[in-house]
Amino acid sequence: MGTVVSIDLADRLPDDKLTKLVEDTCAWLHEVDARFSTFKDDSEVCRFRRGELTLAECSPDMRHVLDACADLWRDTDGYFDANAAGPLDPSGYVKGWSVEVASARLAAAGSVNHCVNAGGDIRMRGTNAEGSPWRVGIRHPWQADKLSWVLALSDGAVATSGSYERGDHVINPRTGKPASGLRSVTVVGPDLALADAYATAALAMGESGITWLAKLGPQGYESAVVTDDGRAFSSAGLPAAV
Amino acid sequence: MRRSTAAAVGTLFGAALIVGVRLSVSTPVVTAAPTDVDLAGSGTSADPTPSKSGSKKEATKKPSAAATDDAGEAGGGTGLTDGTFKGKGVVNPYGTVQVSIKIADGKITVAEATYPTTGNSATINPGAVLKLKAETLEAQSADIDAVSGATFTSKSYKESLQAALDAAGA
Repeated sequence: MGTVVSIDLADRLPDDKLTKLVEDTCAWLHEVDARFSTFKDDSEVCRFRRGELTLAECSPDMRHVLDACADLWRDTDGYFDANAAGPLDPSGYVKGWSVEVASARLAAAGSVNHCVNAGGDIRMRGTNAEGSPWRVGIRHPWQADKLSWVLALSDGAVATSGSYERGDHVINPRTGKPASGLRSVTVVGPDLALADAYATAALAMGESGITWLAKLGPQGYESAVVTDDGRAFSSAGLPAAV
Repeated sequence: MRRSTAAAVGTLFGAALIVGVRLSVSTPVVTAAPTDVDLAGSGTSADPTPSKSGSKKEATKKPSAAATDDAGEAGGGTGLTDGTFKGKGVVNPYGTVQVSIKIADGKITVAEATYPTTGNSATINPGAVLKLKAETLEAQSADIDAVSGATFTSKSYKESLQAALDAAGA
């Protein structure tokens, strides 16, 4: 996936148990990379692309990913598009989903207090080592060492998409041209895969993404946005730290 | 593979069409406000505030007059009874939509509809107007556990606050 994952386990468990949990999490993430990478010729995604696998022959995980991408394409009015760059590339969903699954597996294996951060997209449960809700800073879109918001949450996901790291690399799938208007979009909600996809879609929408994000509130997804010209917006339910 | 992708797109367009139909369910109800005046006059109103006796004939006759009425005409000439009228609640799959109109000086001054505001309905019905609030962009430092940002590559990770946090916790 070409990104760095930070795993923070805050449970009072024996060291060897914690080490095992981290190893299992890493093994899962590497497995996802091997199966879903668009850069590895023998990955399931690449084999499916080439027609070597039919949909029925795909793994249940692969079929889930394809279903989810189709649902998101519809739910985002086409702005989340796994085919935006041409051939199927579900990476925009897989990254968040893999961390979502990693977090669920950690919880099932006994770690109910953890924070997994995959390249700025975070899934957390329980509390930090001090027993408080996790405090998540949203990076300032112009000053890498500053924060534009600080959130406090116990259970949930925070995903940020921004044009500041990848230049104008996010493509508006409706026009095929680089998206513009929004500098940084953060979505907070129960599912990291969806939060990440919503943030990417809103960034692709440009300024109209602000209105679109507001409609996600009733579904439990809050947001914080910074425009290209430095205006900031946030939804009423954003879990800002006190 | 190509074939199955095409099938999926077909399904998606079908689903998008259904959403379109859902949206239009509530819209005609709003434009049907004058019809609800008739309903109020004929006794099916849920809550006719003023007395409606004797006004039925005029009320059923006048909506078209009200529609063409302009400010130059005498306000009281339409025969519409002043007051607030609520139409019968229309139940659609997403909840109950109820139209109400307010008549002053014989003219419809307010026509509005109530929509369900909970669950899926709030996102489908136009009644829920949600906005993000504008605020000042801050540049702050704070004690945090993790950083959310568009860090995409391992190179940009090395320069990130998250890397500093990880180094501090290691």
